[in-house]
Amino acid sequence: MAVSDTDFHFVQGTDNAGMPTVLTKQPAISADEEGAPKSISFWASARQKLLKDHLAVAWGIILLLIVLVALIGPQLQHYDPNLIRVNARNVGPSAAHWFGTDRLGRDLFTRTCIGIQVSLLVAILSTVLAIGFGTIYGMVMAFFGGWVDEIMMRIIEVFNSLPGLLITMLIMVVLGNGMWTMLFALALTSWSDAARQARGLVMQLRQLDYVTAAVMLDTPLWRIMTRHLVPNMMSILILDIGQSIPGNIFGEASLSFLGLGIQAPNTSLGILIASGQDQMLQHPLQLYIPILILVAIVFAFNIVGDGLRDALDPKFQG
Amino acid sequence: MIKLIVRRFIELLISTFLIATATFFLISAVPGDALSAQTDKLPAATRAQVYKNTGLNKPVMERYVITMNNMLHGQFGESIADPSVTMSSLIRDRLPASARLGIQQMLLGIPLGLLLGILAAVYKNTWIDRAVTILALFLMSFPSLVLGLLLQSYFGGKLGWFPIIGWPSGDQLWWGGWIYTILPTIAGGIGYIAGYARLLKNSMVDVASSEYVMTARAKGLSEPQIVLHHIVRNAFIPIITSLPVTLAFGITGSIFIESIFVIPGIGQYFVTALTNRDVPIIMGETVLLAILYIVTMFITDLLYTVVDPRIKLYDN
Repeated sequence: MAVSDTDFHFVQGTDNAGMPTVLTKQPAISADEEGAPKSISFWASARQKLLKDHLAVAWGIILLLIVLVALIGPQLQHYDPNLIRVNARNVGPSAAHWFGTDRLGRDLFTRTCIGIQVSLLVAILSTVLAIGFGTIYGMVMAFFGGWVDEIMMRIIEVFNSLPGLLITMLIMVVLGNGMWTMLFALALTSWSDAARQARGLVMQLRQLDYVTAAVMLDTPLWRIMTRHLVPNMMSILILDIGQSIPGNIFGEASLSFLGLGIQAPNTSLGILIASGQDQMLQHPLQLYIPILILVAIVFAFNIVGDGLRDALDPKFQG
Repeated sequence: MIKLIVRRFIELLISTFLIATATFFLISAVPGDALSAQTDKLPAATRAQVYKNTGLNKPVMERYVITMNNMLHGQFGESIADPSVTMSSLIRDRLPASARLGIQQMLLGIPLGLLLGILAAVYKNTWIDRAVTILALFLMSFPSLVLGLLLQSYFGGKLGWFPIIGWPSGDQLWWGGWIYTILPTIAGGIGYIAGYARLLKNSMVDVASSEYVMTARAKGLSEPQIVLHHIVRNAFIPIITSLPVTLAFGITGSIFIESIFVIPGIGQYFVTALTNRDVPIIMGETVLLAILYIVTMFITDLLYTVVDPRIKLYDN
C-alpha cells in the first residue's frame, strides 16, 4: 500500500515524497504484429516509450545540436577567445562575428561555444561525481547498518541542515576559484539526496533472495554492489543524473555571476551573463544570447528528464 | 513526545556545533583575512596594533575557543570589516527587506502554482494538463538570476516602467514603495509557481487513483465534491509540510535577486562577508541559518503528524 511506503520512508528521516519502488527487471509484455505476446526487456520498453515522446526526442536533438556546435564552433572560425581587439569593440552580429564582439572586442561566438563546454562539463561531471559518491555512501550505510548507518546518517544531516548554496560558496572561498574547485564544491552539496535514496533502495534490495545468497557465498562487498545492487538501481540513477544536471548548470552560472566561480578571462555561461549585464542597456544582445542558450539547455534537460521519468520510473508505468 | 523533543534538541546542538566548527576552520584555512587588504600599506607597528585590537593575531586554536565560547553566550561579535555591523544589527536592519521580498514572492507564486496544479490534475491528459506541465518545465528553466536580469533589462531598462535597482526604506520598509518591489517579486515568485504546480499535480494524481476516491465516485458524488472534499484535502499534505521550509528559506533572502536589484538584505550581505573573509558575520549567518533550518525541519515533522494522523514519528 502506498501509504505505508510513505510512512516507512518518513520514519527513516527522509523527506522525499514517496519511496521509489525497487525495480526487478521483470520483462514487460507487449503484443507484436501477429498478436502473440512477446516479452521485451525493461530497457527496450523504456526506449520505446521515450522514442514515442516526441517533445522529449525533439529537445534531445536540440540539446545534441547545441553541444555539437559548441564543440565544433571554435574550430570553424579560429578566433582566439581571449584576443582583445580595441578597434572592434561591441560590434553587432555579422558574417565575421556571428554573435558580435564584447566590450573588449573578443569574438562572442567563440567565447559562447567555450562557455557552453565549460558549463556543461562542470554540471555533468559534478552531477556524476555527486550521485556516484552518494550512491556508494548510501549502499555502504544500508549494507552495514547499525552504528555505521547511524553515524553516516548524522553526517548527512549536518550537510542537509544548511542551504546547499551556502556550503558551495564557502567551499569556493576556501579552495579558491576555478573550474575544478567549482566542480568539487557543487558535488559536495548535492550527494546527500543520492545517498539517502540509495540507502532506501538497498534496504529493499538486500532482502531479496539473490542478495542473501551472494552474502552467504561470501561474495566481497564491492562485487555484490557492482553485480547485484547497481544494475538494479541503474534506471533510477540515470533518472537522477538527468534531473540533477539543470540544478548544477544553475549553480555554475549563479556562482560565476557573483564572482565566486569561474574567473575571467576564462569563460562560462555565468561569466558571459555577468559581462552581458554590464552592457545590458547599450547592447542587450550580449545579455540575451547567453541567457537564451542557458535556458534552452536547461529546458532541454528538463523535458528529456521528464520523458525519462515517464519511461523509467516504475511509479509512472502504465 | 517529550523524548522526541529532547532528542531533536540534542541533535540540534550537535549539528550546530559541527557546523560552527567546520565553518570556522574552513575560513581560517584560507590565506589572508578580513584585515589583510586594508592594512597592507600600514606601518608594521600600526598593523600589529590593528590586529591586536581585533584579536586576529592570536593563534587559530585560541581564536576558535574564544569564538565558540562567545557563541555559547549568544555573542557572534562585530564585523571585522565594518565594526558597526553585528549580527543583531544585521537582523534589525537587513532582515526586513529579505523577509518582505520573500513573503511577497510566496504570496504571488504559491497560490498561482496551486491553482495551476489543480487545473492540471482535474483536466489530466487533456491539453490543459500538457500546457501546465510544459509551462512549469519552462518556468523551471529560468533560474531566478536569469529571470531577474531579463526583467531588469527589459521592463526596467528598455521600457523604463520600473526602477532598475533599489528597495523601499524608512517608513516604507514594510508597506509602500511597491514600484521597487514588483520586478524582484516576479523574478523570485516564478520559481514557486512551477514548483508548487508540479507538487500539487503529482500529489493529486496520486490521491485520485486511491480506493476511497473510487468509492466516492461509485456512490455517486458529483465531480466537484470529489475533487474538493476527497482529493484536494488529502493532496494538500505534501503542500502543507513543504511550506515551513519554503518560508524559512524565503524570508532569509534570495542571494541572487538581492544582488541583481541591489536590495539591502541578509543574502546580499552574506556574499559581501564571504568575499571580505569576515569571520564573525559568516559564522553568525551560517549558524543562525542552520538552527532556523533544523527547527523548521522539526516543525515539518510535527506537521506531518497533524495533517496525517496515520504517520507516527519514530514509532518502532
